[in-house]
Amino acid sequence: QTVLTLSSWVPATHPQVANFIVPMAKDIERVTDGRVKVNILPAPLGPPSAAFDLAKNGVADITYSVQGYTPGRFKTAAIGEMPLLSDNAIATSVAFWRVYEKYLAAAHEYDGVKVMAIYTHGPGEIFSSKPIKAYGDIAGQKIRVGGVVAHDIVKSIGAVPVEGPSSKSYELLSQGVADGIFFPYESVNFFKLIDLVGNSYTVPGGLYNTAMFVVMNQKKWDSLPAEDQAAISTIIGEPLVRKAGEMWNKADAEGREAMKGKVTFHDASEADMATLREKLQPIIDNQIAVVSSAGVDGEAAYVMLKEEIAKVEAESAQ
Amino acid sequence: MSGGFHVPGTEPEGGGLAAAPPIAGLVKRSIAWISAILLCAMMLLTVVDVIGRYGFNAPLSGATEMTELLLSAIIFIGLPAATLDRDHVTVDFLTDRLSGGIERIRVPFVALAASGVLAVVAWRLWVIGEQIAGYGGVTVSLQIPIAPVAYLAACLTGISACVMLAMAGLALRRR
Amino acid sequence: MQHWEIGMIVLFGLLLAGLPISLALTAVGVLGTAMIIGWEPSLSLLGQTFFDNSRSYSLSILPLFLMMGNFVVQSGVARDLYEAAYAWLRHRRGGLAVATIIACGGFSSVCGSSLATASTMAKISMPSMRRFGYPDGLSTASIAAGGTLGILIPPSVILMFYGLMTQQDIGKLFIAGILPGLIGICLYVLAVRMSMAFGRIELPVEPKLPLKERIAALKSVSGALALFLFVMGGIYLGVFTPTESAGMGAAGAFLLVVIRGRMKLDEALATLYDTAKTTAMMNFILFGALTFANYVNLSGMTTDMQAILTGFGDHPLGVILMITLIYLVLGCVLEGLSMITLTVPIFYPIVAQYGFDLVWFGIYVVIVTEVSYITPPMGLNAFVLRSVVKDVSLSTIFRGLSMFLVVDVARLALILLFPSIVLLLPSLM
Ligand code: NA
Ligand code: NA
Repeated sequence: QTVLTLSSWVPATHPQVANFIVPMAKDIERVTDGRVKVNILPAPLGPPSAAFDLAKNGVADITYSVQGYTPGRFKTAAIGEMPLLSDNAIATSVAFWRVYEKYLAAAHEYDGVKVMAIYTHGPGEIFSSKPIKAYGDIAGQKIRVGGVVAHDIVKSIGAVPVEGPSSKSYELLSQGVADGIFFPYESVNFFKLIDLVGNSYTVPGGLYNTAMFVVMNQKKWDSLPAEDQAAISTIIGEPLVRKAGEMWNKADAEGREAMKGKVTFHDASEADMATLREKLQPIIDNQIAVVSSAGVDGEAAYVMLKEEIAKVEAESAQ
Repeated sequence: MSGGFHVPGTEPEGGGLAAAPPIAGLVKRSIAWISAILLCAMMLLTVVDVIGRYGFNAPLSGATEMTELLLSAIIFIGLPAATLDRDHVTVDFLTDRLSGGIERIRVPFVALAASGVLAVVAWRLWVIGEQIAGYGGVTVSLQIPIAPVAYLAACLTGISACVMLAMAGLALRRR
Repeated sequence: MQHWEIGMIVLFGLLLAGLPISLALTAVGVLGTAMIIGWEPSLSLLGQTFFDNSRSYSLSILPLFLMMGNFVVQSGVARDLYEAAYAWLRHRRGGLAVATIIACGGFSSVCGSSLATASTMAKISMPSMRRFGYPDGLSTASIAAGGTLGILIPPSVILMFYGLMTQQDIGKLFIAGILPGLIGICLYVLAVRMSMAFGRIELPVEPKLPLKERIAALKSVSGALALFLFVMGGIYLGVFTPTESAGMGAAGAFLLVVIRGRMKLDEALATLYDTAKTTAMMNFILFGALTFANYVNLSGMTTDMQAILTGFGDHPLGVILMITLIYLVLGCVLEGLSMITLTVPIFYPIVAQYGFDLVWFGIYVVIVTEVSYITPPMGLNAFVLRSVVKDVSLSTIFRGLSMFLVVDVARLALILLFPSIVLLLPSLM
């Protein structure tokens, strides 16, 4: 019997662990008839930014994290962090995975690990303690953001980016360090921010997104018997990515449900959308250039991403 | 001292840092100056960020990551100084009771072991630096390369290992 | 024998041999981890633990609060605190000792270290207590015990460490320390009275000072009071994050030095040099502890330890009593920082599992650490007094501390029976 250690840094109650990582661990055990077990460690072996290296260096066998936590490292992940993609995390995740397989893998950014999944969360929107009824109201608001792209997006729409780890969101908002936050619905709910943010400005397709990965140490993967590799292969890659998307969709739906009556939603008007598309285009172009700088065709990857999103959305609609 | 009276029996001057030993030697003085600059920079970053936020609705961009890099630099610049001044905390309730003979063997050996651990840490910090340089790791908003900080940390830890080694050597010669 | 049992034995061996705690923790952490997952992974984990954590934003709170404390020492405000307390208490018996404790409490509110509090106050209050014929045992004990409040009344280096190791909000921890700290002052005053009664100590009194002069004495401490209110009020009201309050506090303490005309380049340089050294030393202990914690994590020690802790029965109170017992024993032989870096990574997941609030446990850990500072044979605050007052024997100091230890145990019992003493203020934040 083989035991794979998994270093997990997200709280065990978070849907990403409870409804994604833990079921994945059980699935691995199930499809290998118990020959391969996954041991989730009681505490993480390092901060989230260290997760990729923990797997790459064989400290833990399986880890997951956010590409953006190590800026400069995963240039191709910019594709998954584009604004205005989709409201459906399954669509963005599956499309992102397909683009990864066709174009992004060639950049060799994930060498040393077996990539089990590359995915995104649901649409990221603005939540604020100050009302945002229209595009013009965003100007001057202090918005807490996580990654590089979100940072640029906040600037481009006239708001002031505020830095700080997501675990400090409550502190930042309750203390007025930030007026608002860029988050998916799920996170606003999970970090108990609903009572702090009475307003949501909803942009179809989301204003930003976050790329994420699940990886396994390459040597460990290679050391597994062919039979177990084959069994595990049936539940990783696109099937696992789809599960991640389902998990985020469900968590977002729960988040929106919890906001009912507490948060006022303002949908971006058609005029606002036109302004947003214009303001965000330079960022999209810039991100495509970043992806291309990794030695892959960023333009083609972006086109394919949009096509695949449309395809998956159409499937889900049926 | 306002209030017009003193607690009898205490000298008016003498508290505070007047009792602190003067910083002798070029090395310590340089470390003192560098630490002073880095610490004041860290303090000012916070002050400017807070004032900018409340006074001008404009928090300082990159303050967080600058603070992080400064912290790393301060920790590793303080390390050779702490080693030089023997400031590392030890559990000494047993060693205080040892006789001179045992002490003459124990002290150099412990210093040698400490030097070894520091050397390993220095080596691995260098390796981390190479890894980060390998993928071009930078900070989020100011895009400052991170690897040089790791190299700096590795060098300063290496220097501390050498200081420890020299201490082991001195202790051996005293035998 | 379990893997981790060998690890613990090696660790204690290295510590007793006199290897710095930081490096002993690092060595055992790396070796133990290597035995479990192999050399190359273990070594790369070492580098990552040291470098990634050295760039942690929440850790920057440490040098900033250390800087604030060091500037406050340089400002000479400690003497004014002592004189103000004495002005109000000199007509009472034992007034100097009580004034010492109150001044220690006041100084603790701007300085995060027990050792700095004890050594600063020792230089100021010891000569006057001697002059008035206070027995050395009572004088030194009042300072040593009063000094321990430095890590309970915020800011506190130990609470910062605890918060970083357990991912608890440092602001909440600080605010939680205020009420137990005030209770600590009251109990130590009681201990002075008890020492006088049991030791049949007769002490002289001075005539009462006119109210006008007493109020005048208070004015000179307004700077320190303002600094405390600015820093803790900022955290409590949510104006600053704890890290920001540390930076603003350092700047405020810097101003205090300037305003009081104490800004001399060489002294400021020495202050900052000390701050950098202490930052390095403490962070290396923390990184060592994290390296060791990774080994604890991988070795399955948490599960095994839980079985041991249920020795008094599988009940939260039984577990916490068992932990108390372990702390009181360890506190005799270990210095505070090593004690908490060794035990907190092992205990906190278990304590949380039994339903204890981790902010409460943080204050609890600080109080047992305070006790460890004044218990023989390894009582750091007694050592500090011994080094400042060179002609007093350690046994005199430890004998003088006996009543203070009695009230400390009473304080632990109070916190255990009435957790709301700790949790009331943070719950109002
Ligand atoms: Na304090
Ligand atoms: Na002790």
